[in-house]
Amino acid sequence: MIEFHLDGRSGVAPYLQLIHQVRHALRLDLLRQGDQLPKVKDVAAGLAINPNTVLKAYRELEYEGLVAARPGIGTFVTGTLSGGSLATLGPLRTDLRRWLAKARRAGLDDESIEALFLSTFRSAREEDIA
Amino acid sequence: MTAVVETEGLGKRYRGQWALADCTLSVPARHVVGLVGPNGAGKTTLLNLATGMTAPSAGTIQVLGAIPAASPAQLARIGYLAQDAPAYAGLSVADHLRLGQHLNPAWDAALARARVERLELNLRQKAGTLSGGQRAQLALTLAVAKRPELLILDEPVASLDPLARREFLQDLMETVAEQEVSVLLTSHLISDLERICDYLIVLAGARVRLAGPVDELLATHHLLSGPRRASDSGPAGAEVISASHTDRQSTLLVRAAGPVLDPAWTSAEVSLEDLVLAYMKQAAGRAGRARHLEVQR
Amino acid sequence: MIWLTWRQFRAQAVTAAVALALFAVLLVSTRPRMASLYAASGIAGCHTSSCAGLASGFLNQLASTTPFSGHALDPLPDGFNLYPFVYTGSILLILLAPAIVGIFWGAPLIARELENGTGRLTWNQSITRTRWLTVKLTLIAAAAMAVTEAFSQLQSWWATPIGRAMGVGGSASVFTGNRFSPLAFVTHGIAPLGYAAFGFTLGAAAGLLIRRTVPAMAVTLAVFAAVQLAMPLWVRPNLIPPQHTTVAIGRDVTFGDYGVGNSALPAFSLTTGSVPGQPGAWVTGSGAVDRAGQPVRVLPAACAQQANQAGADILDCLDGQGIRIALSYQPASRYWAVQAAETGILLVLAAGLTGLCFWRLGRRRT
Repeated sequence: MIEFHLDGRSGVAPYLQLIHQVRHALRLDLLRQGDQLPKVKDVAAGLAINPNTVLKAYRELEYEGLVAARPGIGTFVTGTLSGGSLATLGPLRTDLRRWLAKARRAGLDDESIEALFLSTFRSAREEDIA
Repeated sequence: MTAVVETEGLGKRYRGQWALADCTLSVPARHVVGLVGPNGAGKTTLLNLATGMTAPSAGTIQVLGAIPAASPAQLARIGYLAQDAPAYAGLSVADHLRLGQHLNPAWDAALARARVERLELNLRQKAGTLSGGQRAQLALTLAVAKRPELLILDEPVASLDPLARREFLQDLMETVAEQEVSVLLTSHLISDLERICDYLIVLAGARVRLAGPVDELLATHHLLSGPRRASDSGPAGAEVISASHTDRQSTLLVRAAGPVLDPAWTSAEVSLEDLVLAYMKQAAGRAGRARHLEVQR
Repeated sequence: MIWLTWRQFRAQAVTAAVALALFAVLLVSTRPRMASLYAASGIAGCHTSSCAGLASGFLNQLASTTPFSGHALDPLPDGFNLYPFVYTGSILLILLAPAIVGIFWGAPLIARELENGTGRLTWNQSITRTRWLTVKLTLIAAAAMAVTEAFSQLQSWWATPIGRAMGVGGSASVFTGNRFSPLAFVTHGIAPLGYAAFGFTLGAAAGLLIRRTVPAMAVTLAVFAAVQLAMPLWVRPNLIPPQHTTVAIGRDVTFGDYGVGNSALPAFSLTTGSVPGQPGAWVTGSGAVDRAGQPVRVLPAACAQQANQAGADILDCLDGQGIRIALSYQPASRYWAVQAAETGILLVLAAGLTGLCFWRLGRRRT
């Protein structure tokens, strides 16, 4: 089961953080169809946040078609996010690991790797749009 | 949705000073309502009026549709945790539970026992030897086990260490989720309120300065920054709550029904803490000017 | 609520029970000796003329007997007079009991809840303050009255022989006076109930108004002491209009002079503790009057010489001048009427204080 955490200083509303974490987990296949999301009560108690906040996040996810609430039982994952199946993710992950190893051997630290990746990612996206 | 607390022009005077004045509120049910303000602003006075510990000097107040403390039935629907969690030092934890059982017809003994077990409180320990956090948890148990519709908590975590504070709030949120109870609490720790409250009331200088759902308040307030201005006035249609200036930049916190589209200003989201501080500063500013005038006279 | 009242009152109840038990042990262990002395004195079947003498003899014996001497475990020092000590001590205990109850049971009742803030806990359970106060006041007031009355009844039982001896005119050491004597009056009959109720409600009201336990205790003590002084001085004598009579100056009249009046003749007074033909009466006022019934305050010139010598001569002289003594008194038969009147006043005061407590607490003032 997914475990939520909250960054009080990020400036992002708590319910949005919860939604992001669910979507992120779906993309990475950490959450699969049929998995149950933690109960509202447990999330509220674990993070010391208002249960309405959790409800709001779960309702938003339900509206997006990603989860469905079954009254009395819980909230379950029903949809997927286009992140590809396990088959496609595997090789991509391996490639990425190799690239990271190369970057390290070249002497790049964490910040430089991140900056390199983000700038390449953004410029590639611009080119795609253009 | 019905209101749990409804006041109309409520005021309370102590020895010629108005501790609370012109208070008109309609606090919705099934919310966690935060009551925030500087010390001496009237928060505890409002709670005392809500629990019937004291009677109004002006105006009216109704809690759960009845005059506070009017009848045992009305008292049974409200759980109250007073500041500093008072308890009988000579009575044990078990004695306190028996107190709750004998004095509350709707007492849920199983719930009380389960809570005490989960919190690992020693039943035979005298309340006088409990830590502050344990005493607060005992007091919350007494308030919760009577199955109230409304929980009123006066600075419940003010004197607790960070761990005890976090555990108390976790426990409180779990209770809210399980029992669907409305909560009205005061605190001056805004970071706590940000996590748990979905309705906010700001009290400063004995008056209500702001009241509303947190989402709505955050959506209708904006932090505007722009080049230095001479005056404190902002774009049209926006009410300036607070303003600060450096030699090059002006920053305004404004209230506006819709987004601010004036190109001269850069708009950013406001945090709850900034919002509360701005209103408290505004209240202090007005009071300061009044004091200044008094002196001149 | 009954459970809570008991739980909070437990320690005080145990203290009172232990005190009562110790008191009972003391009285029961000293009674047999007194009973045997009384049986041997012959007062039981005495003839009226000899009774007073026998009674005084018994009381004198009682005052000097040492019941435990010769026992290996004699706890008393030599020369210690046990019975006068127990007699006076027990009466003082009953006198103080209402004050103790007021201070230790009454003053903390509400004051402690306000001082410690525990009122904010208890008065927000599903119980109104009115009901809380009703149960607390009723149960503890009942306990206070019961305990005080228990002490009083125990003492009365123990002192029955002494009472009978004094009743037929005997007196010795501390065993003097009649039922109307200030100490005896408030510690017997139904007066203890009234004082207990008054003391307790006084403490509770003081605690509520002052809101702090220790100052409330002090105020309770002060007010109670004031009432204990005011009652016999000003209130009790006038509860029922006294009867009046004027009699010749008898043997037990006391002459007192107050120094020089005008024309160099001293002012004087005549006092007495008994009324001829009215055994056990309570003299509430006395004064010298002349043949016409007018008050006489200045010593007649003819008796100026005898004034300087104390004793019977001055009384004879005054008698020869036609001076008599006017008395206002309550006859012995009015004992229960006066008891009832005084207890009634105390209960009315207690009721008033109770009403004050309900009014103030119920008005939802923090």
